[in-house]
Amino acid sequence: MQNEVLFAILSLMAILSSIIMISAYRPIDSALSFIVTLVSIAALFALVNATFLFIVQIIIYAGAILSLIIFIIMFLNIKDENLPEEKHKTKWLLGTSFIILPFSAILIDLILRSDIEHNVVASDKFGGIHQVGLTLFSKWILPFELVSILLLVALIGSVTLAKREK
Amino acid sequence: MLKAYMILSVILFSIGIVGLISRRNIIVIYMSIELLLNSVNISLIAISADLADSSAQVMSLIIIAIAASEAALFMSLFVILFRNRSSLDANLFDILSSNK
Amino acid sequence: MKNDILLNILILSPLLSALFIFFINIFFVNTRQYIFTILALLGSGVSALLALYVSYYSYFYSKIFSSHFFTWLNVGEFSIELSFRADSLSSFMLLFVAPVSFLIHIYATGYMNKDKSYGRFFAYFNLFIFFMFILVLADNPIVMFIGWEGVGLTSYALVSFYFEDIKNTYAGNKAFILNRIGDFGFLSALMILFIEIGSGGFSFETIFVNLHQIDNQSVNLIAFLLFVGAMGKSAQIPLFVWLPDAMAGPTPVSALIHAATMVTAGVYMITRFAPLYNIAIDISLFISYIGALSALFAAIVASRQYDIKKILAYSTMSQLGFMFMALGVHAYSTALFHMFTHAFFKALLFMVAGAIIVSFSHKQDIRELRGIKYSAPLLFIMMGVGAITISAIPPFSAFFSKDAIMSSLYVSSHYELFAIAFVASLLTAYYMFRMLFVIFFTKSFQDGKQNAKSMIYPMLILTFLSLFSGFLNFPEIFLGDLNVSSWLNLADKKVLIEHSTEIILMFVNTVCIMAVIYFTYKRYAYTDKILQESEVSIVANKFYIDEIYDVVFVKPLQYLSIFINKTISYTMIDRSINIIAFSYAKAGRLFSYIENGNVRYYALYMAIGLMFGFVYLYVLLGTRL
Repeated sequence: MQNEVLFAILSLMAILSSIIMISAYRPIDSALSFIVTLVSIAALFALVNATFLFIVQIIIYAGAILSLIIFIIMFLNIKDENLPEEKHKTKWLLGTSFIILPFSAILIDLILRSDIEHNVVASDKFGGIHQVGLTLFSKWILPFELVSILLLVALIGSVTLAKREK
Repeated sequence: MLKAYMILSVILFSIGIVGLISRRNIIVIYMSIELLLNSVNISLIAISADLADSSAQVMSLIIIAIAASEAALFMSLFVILFRNRSSLDANLFDILSSNK
Repeated sequence: MKNDILLNILILSPLLSALFIFFINIFFVNTRQYIFTILALLGSGVSALLALYVSYYSYFYSKIFSSHFFTWLNVGEFSIELSFRADSLSSFMLLFVAPVSFLIHIYATGYMNKDKSYGRFFAYFNLFIFFMFILVLADNPIVMFIGWEGVGLTSYALVSFYFEDIKNTYAGNKAFILNRIGDFGFLSALMILFIEIGSGGFSFETIFVNLHQIDNQSVNLIAFLLFVGAMGKSAQIPLFVWLPDAMAGPTPVSALIHAATMVTAGVYMITRFAPLYNIAIDISLFISYIGALSALFAAIVASRQYDIKKILAYSTMSQLGFMFMALGVHAYSTALFHMFTHAFFKALLFMVAGAIIVSFSHKQDIRELRGIKYSAPLLFIMMGVGAITISAIPPFSAFFSKDAIMSSLYVSSHYELFAIAFVASLLTAYYMFRMLFVIFFTKSFQDGKQNAKSMIYPMLILTFLSLFSGFLNFPEIFLGDLNVSSWLNLADKKVLIEHSTEIILMFVNTVCIMAVIYFTYKRYAYTDKILQESEVSIVANKFYIDEIYDVVFVKPLQYLSIFINKTISYTMIDRSINIIAFSYAKAGRLFSYIENGNVRYYALYMAIGLMFGFVYLYVLLGTRL
């Protein structure tokens, strides 16, 4: 019972803030409401006992990525005249949501009618850092290494891209 | 429970696509992309909780790592684009267009 | 089938000479004129000799020459052979066509002397003779049609010979187009005939054997359509308007084509199809009426013409009308005999006219050619002979032939035809002697050039022939043998006439014609009455027939062509194709707006496609989920 109420509140928060994010005019407004979305999603993680990812989501996503975005927004010194004037923003938003509607309607319909809940009973320690770490370094060692190379590439790439021409 | 999570995931995904297509501000477009990734994360975590398998959480972790690297590159792109055009309009980049 | 070498040589020699002259004319500049002369005279002379030989054998020994070249078309049961056959009818035609052609050739070498297109003329001339032989010697109607078309083509080439003047080309066009209308009738008749009885072989013999298989309506239709072809070729009403205009060609052309050979092709063709016309009696009567109408009309118009050659052209049309009248009452041998004598005196008259024109600096109006009796006495004698002959005064040749026609008309109990023929023959005498008296019998005097010998000698020969060729078909009442009719052995209707009736007819005819000649003498000889005749009367303007045709047929066709060209071809077809092409370009330009370089729009299009897919999926699976 408690879980359902919590879930309802958190999901509502996530949806509302994401809607605000996509319809706000100034980018700083969208960034801030995106933080709210991310935090509620992290809370949703915690609700199913994925405690490690709850922490990871907050630290990395909301903490590093979003603060990077806000930093860039402030660094670029965006004034109102730099922003594009979107005269038909509402029309576009409504039209696109209408277009996406069948897609999501079918998926939701499928999910509702299907029989996918297995509800396997797990141990107490499930979702903690110990379990995730074990799986990460045993079965998923190769993607782990590749992701580290990817991070290296991103690092070098972003430095190269932003260099000023001499 | 799983079904609710998946429905939430679908809704967030649609919102992300709507934001991706409709807005002209490139920063909002980028954040809609991040929202897409997050909705997938929700779905993965829910499945992992249902099946009591940690692999899905590992996948989620890797997705977050990829999102981070992508964020870095996006930011440098914003800096360059803003430096060149001093505007954040996505409609300005239409060199591929066939009608001048 | 056996291949008669003589027949082959006869047919091919004019063709070969035409081709040789043609090639020499194209590839060598400044050839001597005598080379062309030799080639041309060889071509027609050889065939003339062979024609005499063939006729001799055909008459005296009843020999039939035949020659088969190859099978042209062989489809299932139908087959068309390219074969030639000289039976009595064809030999008779050859007897006068080939020698007259040769004589006119000799005349033409004098007439066209020093002309700059000498070679071209003789190439066409020999080609014409070749096609005429094909027409006459054909064994089946298809080969005859080849000759039919060929003479039409070469007559066009010869009439518009002096093509630098555009009027001559128009005259040639007129001849060819009206011939074409006739050819359409001929070809339709052949098609119907072929469909009905073509399966048993298509030579003339087999056609007439199988003729009873066709039903009466088709027979009438075929007969009528064949006569349409004859109308075009032999210049009867209503397809005659090309003949006066065709006088724009050189005079030898008029002499050969429009007096002796091409215009008689129609008569020959109807005679060839005689068994057909014996069955289609109504159409035969129609032929007689058309012939009568043409004879009368032409005689009336000729009596008010002022150009020598036009008078003679209308005279040809009138005489052909007589022949068709005889054909219509199934008197085939009589018509053919008149054609025989007509060839001689009409060619003579044309040649004399040509000689006059050449001697007196190309004047053709009879009002300007007065007073040449003493400067051209020989021409006077020859034209006098021609005029007397055509008026059917005994004992000259045309008397026998025309009188036979009048008798057969009288016997057929269509007395209206007889009356029209009678009036027409009176008018014939009137206009011929009008021409003679106006030119020769005046007090004034004109001097002219001498004529070349090459022109005089053929005219002399023809004078002789027009005087005496009548004796070949001497009628019974004068104790003759009717040699020509018995030789031809056509399916004539037997003419049973009392001797006394016939003598009375002859007597009445001759007396009336003498009276007319006397009246004409009083009116035109040594007077200036001719100058007082107006040029603007209806008759003098040929009853405005050309103008009527122009308004009724030519102008509407021209407007129709212009309409089709501008409206249908340009506006409708061209414009609609252009509109299609244009709209493709426009649609392409419209579609290019989709590629605007904005990736977000591409994502939008993908989303739209996705939406359609999912809607379809929902509709498809909705009931089953």
